[in-house]
Amino acid sequence: MRSRRLTPFLCGLPWLLTFVVFWAFPLLYSFVIGFTDYRLLQRGYEWVGWGNYAALFNDPDFLSALKNTFIFVVGTIPATTIISLALALMVNRQFRGRGLFRAGFFVPSITSMVVVGLVFTHLYSRGGYVAMLAAMVGFTPPVNGFLYESGTALAAIMAMDVWMAVGYYMLIFLAGLKSIPEELYEAAEINGASPLRQFFSITLPLLRPVTLFIVVINSIKSFQVFTEIFVMTRGKFDTSSAVYFVYEKGLTTSYDFGYASAAAYLLFVIIGLLSLAQFGLFKQRKELSW
Amino acid sequence: MLRGNMCHRFVLVLLSIVLLSCATVAKETVEWWQFWTDPGIKPTIEAMIAEFEAANPDIDINVTDLTWADGQEKIVIAFSAGTAPDMLEVGSDWIAQFAANGYLADLSAQIAPDSGKFKGWGLATYDGKVYGKPWILGTRVLFGNRDLLKRAGIDSTFVPLSLSALQGAALMVQKLGNGVFGWGSNTAEKHRLYKKFLPIFWSFGAQLFTDDNRYCIISSEKGIAALNYYKRLNDTCGYVADQRGIEDAFLDGKIGFIISGDWLLKRIDLEHRKINLMTTLIPGPKYPGRSFLGGEMLVVNEKTKNREAAIKFIDFITSPANQVRFCKANRSANPSSVEAQADPYFSGNPHLVTFIKQINSSVCPPVDPDWPLMEDAIEKAVEDALFGRRLVATALRDAQVKIAALRNHAKP
Repeated sequence: MRSRRLTPFLCGLPWLLTFVVFWAFPLLYSFVIGFTDYRLLQRGYEWVGWGNYAALFNDPDFLSALKNTFIFVVGTIPATTIISLALALMVNRQFRGRGLFRAGFFVPSITSMVVVGLVFTHLYSRGGYVAMLAAMVGFTPPVNGFLYESGTALAAIMAMDVWMAVGYYMLIFLAGLKSIPEELYEAAEINGASPLRQFFSITLPLLRPVTLFIVVINSIKSFQVFTEIFVMTRGKFDTSSAVYFVYEKGLTTSYDFGYASAAAYLLFVIIGLLSLAQFGLFKQRKELSW
Repeated sequence: MLRGNMCHRFVLVLLSIVLLSCATVAKETVEWWQFWTDPGIKPTIEAMIAEFEAANPDIDINVTDLTWADGQEKIVIAFSAGTAPDMLEVGSDWIAQFAANGYLADLSAQIAPDSGKFKGWGLATYDGKVYGKPWILGTRVLFGNRDLLKRAGIDSTFVPLSLSALQGAALMVQKLGNGVFGWGSNTAEKHRLYKKFLPIFWSFGAQLFTDDNRYCIISSEKGIAALNYYKRLNDTCGYVADQRGIEDAFLDGKIGFIISGDWLLKRIDLEHRKINLMTTLIPGPKYPGRSFLGGEMLVVNEKTKNREAAIKFIDFITSPANQVRFCKANRSANPSSVEAQADPYFSGNPHLVTFIKQINSSVCPPVDPDWPLMEDAIEKAVEDALFGRRLVATALRDAQVKIAALRNHAKP
């Protein structure tokens, strides 16, 4: 009897141990050291209370990184969501080569960010293809390339990020589109609803949970933007993000774990609050009105 | 009788086993973490270790390879966790951080007799104590593309002996147009730009700190003049890219002058590049100007139990003969040993000679635990000025304030 009660616990023990050692403990530990001046190389540390958090709000580098992160989130999420929805609507229709298009749009999202970052670094460079294209359509490209100019570097990274992400979210939208009953469209057509009206009155409302999922997931991902910045600009030219700031403070030069932990937790709070706000914004209405 | 013989034999075998195991126990194993993983140099490192072990049968050297991408992180974590090896190769700008926190053994007494025989001690000296032995040094010299200079109408024997001559020649190259630039200007990477700017800064006679090392004076008149000069070069003829991008463009014949290190000579050699190369010392108001000095130091863990064995190996691997051997295999040009520097391998090659000469007119950056952060402040100031985000004087003054705050250990 006793062994029966123990069996499920024993079966779950490997996961539980992994969770406690590699997730729960580091989470709690980093929260605690956020209130200390702990540096990796330093012997011993002192309790500084909210000192690190106060210093963060006065640190121009952190504030700039936070600003860049917000710009990144605000700039990429609507673009990614709208383009991926448009692509999903397109590949949801019957036409020749549909599978090829679906695969083509999806491939960038399964490619390594480091590889994509390196390729785009070349594309955006002085005399690169993007500069050539810009010149062809009458724009004067930045003299040193798109990534070495404060006015264009972040926008260039954002554009790459949107290009890379749309395929993945297109697939999720596609799944959402497949779940909308065909009868609704038939009924709407009988009632004389135009395709545009059908889109706004059937497709969009019924895709609300999927859209919420995409916006929340993409927001969290965008708030954690790091790899592309690490590979392409190393945070220079006004591209440093909050996570890049945490990396720089915690894992380079001074190994200031206390300060970096505080920054990470601040970012955690911001992401949490924004996710809650997004849930509120997209609150599902119980009835459909059309 | 037979039984007695058997008994003797048994005791003899047992004794041999005990003696052998004692001999094994007495052998010391020195754990060494190092960064030379290139297939061109690794066999030489292994051969040197084998020779050392043959000459010292009581010492084993166990090597672990690190990469520059994450080696520093691994060392920092190992020191913090108390799992660092007996002996390490470290970059010169890491010494102060490790020494200040008590992780490195003070080697002053053991290596004092070598003081006149090696260059670069300043890089390994913190708070009056020597914490490492210079192995392979690193400096920067001026590289020029003679074919481009010729096309720009510059004499084939021209060497820029002054900063104004360099600027004039760079401008003439720039005027060639068609995607040709006069000067390579670093950006988008850490730990690179300051090594390019400081040679110009020092060549202008500017100093980072007062002579008593107490106050930062980076925004002095000379400092401002240096950054103004650097900005003019960048504004009028700069090709802005990361180090790799600049070197690619230089080797493709698109840049007239760049500041670079000896790895570029190695690259030219390995890639069989056909380039009419000029190397010369960094110019200054008085020739030669100053350059940056850094390098690889061999240090010993404060907690090691194999300190003597580690020092013995350090002495072996940094011996003049082994340094020449290492430089030949690695095609590098900066041995720390004075005797090695005089070897015909270096004197027979004009480009290597430039590096050897430049070492003797180079300056070590401050050995300070906060140097990496000071370095950040300098690079930010230079980039802010180069890309027009701040005026030269304002950018340097901001850097000065940050560096002064770091000296007081306050958060920026």
